[in-house]
Formats: sequence, structure tokens, C-alpha cells
Amino acid sequence: MSEENRPLFSCSGVHVFIGEKEIVKGVDLAIPHGEIHAIMGPNGSGKSTLVAALMGHPAYTLEGRVFLEGEEITALSPDEKARKGLFLAFQYPVAVPGVTVASFLRAAVTARRGEEVSVREFRKQLLTRMEELEMDAAFASRYLNDGFSGGEKKRLEVLQLRMLEPRFALLDETDSGLDIDALKVVAKGINAAAANGTGILLVTHYQRLLNYVKPDVVHVFIDGRIAHSGGAELALTLEERGYDWLEQQAAMGGA
Amino acid sequence: MSAEAIPRVQLDHIAQLSQAAGEGEFLRRMREEARALLDPLVLPDRARHLWRYTNPAQLLPAHDPTEPLPLPLPGEWRQEDPAAAAVLVAGGAIRLVELSEEARRAGVVVEDLHRSQAAELVGSTVPARHGLFEAINAAAWRGGVLVRVPRGVELEEPIRLRLLAGPGGRVAVPRVLVLAEAGSSFEILEGHLGGESGAQVVGVSELLVEENARVRHALIQRWEEGVSGHLTTRARVASGARLQLALASFGGALYKADVGAELVGEGAEVATFGVAMGGDRQRFDHHTEHHHLAGKTNSNLDFKVALADTARSAYTGLIRIAADAPECEAYQENRNLLLSRGARAESIPELEIANQNVRCSHGATVAPIDPEQLFYLASRGLPRSQALRLIVYGFLDQTLARLPESTRQRLEALVAARLHAE
Repeated sequence: MSEENRPLFSCSGVHVFIGEKEIVKGVDLAIPHGEIHAIMGPNGSGKSTLVAALMGHPAYTLEGRVFLEGEEITALSPDEKARKGLFLAFQYPVAVPGVTVASFLRAAVTARRGEEVSVREFRKQLLTRMEELEMDAAFASRYLNDGFSGGEKKRLEVLQLRMLEPRFALLDETDSGLDIDALKVVAKGINAAAANGTGILLVTHYQRLLNYVKPDVVHVFIDGRIAHSGGAELALTLEERGYDWLEQQAAMGGA
Repeated sequence: MSAEAIPRVQLDHIAQLSQAAGEGEFLRRMREEARALLDPLVLPDRARHLWRYTNPAQLLPAHDPTEPLPLPLPGEWRQEDPAAAAVLVAGGAIRLVELSEEARRAGVVVEDLHRSQAAELVGSTVPARHGLFEAINAAAWRGGVLVRVPRGVELEEPIRLRLLAGPGGRVAVPRVLVLAEAGSSFEILEGHLGGESGAQVVGVSELLVEENARVRHALIQRWEEGVSGHLTTRARVASGARLQLALASFGGALYKADVGAELVGEGAEVATFGVAMGGDRQRFDHHTEHHHLAGKTNSNLDFKVALADTARSAYTGLIRIAADAPECEAYQENRNLLLSRGARAESIPELEIANQNVRCSHGATVAPIDPEQLFYLASRGLPRSQALRLIVYGFLDQTLARLPESTRQRLEALVAARLHAE
């Protein structure tokens, strides 16, 4: 495979286990530079497990291989993956009381870049990005996700996406729990990251985020596998017809 | 049982110590009376919470703390102008004092307690009969410091005292008396530091907070490795006065602190905010007491403990509200964060509420570090050690954020230094 054709992100033969239980049952993905892919699927299909395991969540065992720009990252620790440029926006971001958003972000940006960032430059960038996401400047001095509303947490995930400038981002239900105005702001942040060269894999239960973030490919995830892949129009079909027809197809195909 | 097994404390040179320090009759008699309390030596009852987690025999002075020091005793203490930091030599022990120019001009006094006119106030809040270690201190204290802030004086800059533990085999017996006259307002940092492995400390601090005074007192323990000691702090808080006690415990091998306040006048308030960080095989035992002896008094306590390796901590906290003290409020919260499987923490609240017309609550938690927090921070590129430091810092800083800025900055720096030493 030539340099140009090498996918930005790929994985092959990925199985994920919690203890003995198999949740993800063989996933192959190859996402080229400049594309946005979406994974849609019913609750409990294992799509959140897939992205958490790709990031290296310690509760999961991952089999298979994961590559970022051709470099195998399967065995790296989560923090090593992050420093290589992989990012996960959490469905349920974790609170770290006592640690301010600003001090956390500064530590994260420093880790990602591998060098100290000047306080001035950091402040300037932070305020610009917060303004883009329509966040009040006072937000920076609040404790990380501590007492945040659902919408605030999702905005903060997207703020991190913008500040860390990862090469590839896994976004887990970044649209859930948002009203329409917040959804538009979050979508704007995701599109800006994509325009800046970050590859995106969106995991979502609903089609509505895809009205604002246009995917190049939609994968339907059913029972731990990609049951079907198609273009952006597939999301609309799912919105109309639900997942039943694909679940039946998957059951028949899998038999 | 052989005769050697009976614990004893040797105090053979009390008269000589008292005389060399230039004390008057009052203190000399107090020392003799304290010694009488120790004969025969009775160890505290370990069934009580106060001593359930620490064996008092381990803290008994292994050597005679009244033994004459090789240091020549100067006739009087000196304070060298214009340096803000001064050396106070009292009773043959050296104390480092930082007192701003502002404070000196305002008539703030920091002096040798042995010779002070205020010597008769020694024992007001921590009498010799308070307990075994308080009796030992009363009999053998050396290098006592008096801090007196006159009526109505408000200070911007904190007063700092640094009390050093000694070399191995030496027992330091510091004593501090803080007299906050009516309406005064100031911050005082009492730092216990230094020492070599095997050194011991038996310290007592007394705070008299008069009407409408505002005192912010920090008890900062950062002894070197292998030092062990017992520190007792008691405050008496008069009506309308407010006391903030900051506790910060970092060092030593074995440390027991008994810290508290008596609210004796209507409207008096005390807030105790503290952090402790232990690693290796350190043993901490903190006891706090808030006694509401008058109505409409408030107390609040927030104490956080973070432990690594096989460190252990015990916290016991007593809130006592007297029968004739209605309309009081008292809150107590102790949280413990365990960074390793070998670390252990105990947390025991005790409430003695004799008046029903009060508001009182307490909470305690002991929890390991949350793996989801670690994963979240790791997913942002932070290595495990850095993520742990950030979590611990945040955990402790929530409490430090409640302290005045200068104390907070000082303690944050100490927490950061301790985290990086791990």
C-alpha cells in the first residue's frame, strides 16, 4: 500500500471481551484521510464497547490489530495512544473534582504536543476555542466535569477535541442529551476538527447529528458486528425503517 | 512481667531546665505538678477512640527530654533587625520566626515564653492533666514561644514560626502560646519540620482567641523521614470570634495530632480544614474536637487524607454540644483516598449532643482511586503517575481552596512537592 492510499485509521479482526463474554465479534474498518464515518446501531449492540476498547479501556480485552496512519498501536497504553493522536470523546465524561478545566487542558495539551506550551499562548488558544463553542470564559476555572450538565460535558469533550488536535477521534454519542442549539454548536466543533484534518468516527444512536455532520460512510452495528455499510443516505433509511430489517437480515446472514 | 517492660519517662533535670531558662515560680511549679501526674506512669486507655489506632508507648520519649543541651544558653532571646526572619533562642532551643515590619510596628510580640509575663497563661487550654503527652510537655517543654497580637490589630502578612525536630535520639518538646486579643485579625503558620531519623517530638500549642478576633492558624507538619511525634493544639474561642485551623500533615514515620477548639462565647466559630498525605510506611493518627460550650456557635470540619504504599491513617473526630448550648451548627466531613492496595484508612466520627435544638451532620468515606478517572485522564495523554498526581491534587485542593490565599499557596506548594517525591 502506498503512503497516499494508507488509511488514517484502520482495525482488523477486532473482537472485544469483558471477561469471558464476547461483545464485539469481528470488526474491520479502514478510514481514509479526510473522511467522516458513522457507526449507528441499536442500544446494546456493542458500539460504545468497540470505541472504548479501541482507546484501551482496562476493563476490556481486545483481540485483533489497530493502526493509526499505518503504525500499529494495538498494544499501546491509552495514554500512549492519546499522545500518538488518538482521541475518545466519552459518552459519560468523568468528573475529577478539584482539578480545573484549564489546568487539566494545559496538562493534556502539553502531553499531546510533547513540550510545554507557554501560558499566554495556551490561554489565547483556549479562549478562542471556547468562544467558538459558545462557552463562557468562567468555564475554564470550574472543576473538570464536576456538577456539569449533560450538555456542558459534551461541549467540554468537543473543546478537548479542538484543543488536542488529534489525528483521529472516536466520538461516542457526543450528540446525546443535547438540545438543538447545543447540537449545532457541537456539530460545528466536530466539522471544524474534521476540516483541520482530524479523521472522525462518530458513534450515534440517532440520525439527528448527521443532519449537521455529514458522514462519508455509515456503518450499521448489530450484535457486535458491522451488519451493513453505505453512504450518508443510509442514516435516513435507518431513521425511517429502524434497525429491525437489518437485524433480521443479520440474523439470517449470520445463520 | 519484668521491670524493664513497664514504660517510664525520665525527667531528671526539670529544676535545672527551669532555672536555666530563667523561669519564674509559676512555671517551675507547673512542671513539678505535671511530673507528679506521670508518677506512676499510666498509659491511656486504648478502648477509647483517641488511642484505639496508635500505641501510646511508641510515642513515649526514649530519652530524658529535660537533659541539659550542649547549646550555651544566652541571657535573652534576640531578634535581628531588619531581617524579617529572626532566630529566637528560648530555653536553649532555637525557633525561627518571621514577623513583618508591619506587625512589629503594630506592637505584635513574639518572645521567649519561659520568661514572658504571659507565662501564667500557660496551661489555659492544654493543662497537664489533658493527657499523658500533654503532661510530659508541661513538665519538659523547652523553647516556648509566645505570640501576642494586641487588641484591634489587623495584620496583612502572616506570622511564621518554624519549630525544628532534633537529631536522632533527641526529644524536642516545643510549646507555643498564641494570644489573640479582642478584635485582632491575623494569620499564623506554625511549621514543624526538620529532624533526623529517630528524633521525637512532644509538642503543645495553645490559642486564646478573645472576643471578635479573627485568627487563621495553620499547623503544618513536614518532619523528615523517621521522626515520630505527638502534637496537641487547643484553642479557646470567645464570643463573636472566628478561628480557622488549617492542618497539613506530610512527614515523619509516626504522627499523632490532637487538635481542637472550645467555643465558649455566643456566636463563636471554628472551621478546621486539613489535608494529610502519607506514603511508604507512614502512620498518621489525627483526632479533632469541636466543643460547643455556648449557644449559637458554629463549627465546621473538612479533613482529607490521601495515602500511598502501605501508609495508614486513622481519623477520629468528636463534636460535643453542651446541654446549655442551643442553636448551634456543627458539620464534619472526612474523606480518604487510597492510592494503593496496601494503604488503609479508618474514620470514626463521634457525636455527643446534649441539646436537641441544634443542627449537626457528619460524613466519612474511604475509597480507592477511581479507575474511570484514571482512564479518562489517560485518554487525554496523561501517564498513570501524572494522572494519579492530578487526581490526588484535586482531591486535596478542594479543601485547600477554603483556606486564605497565603496559606493555600503555601500548602499547595507542599502538596505538589510531596506528590513529586512519590
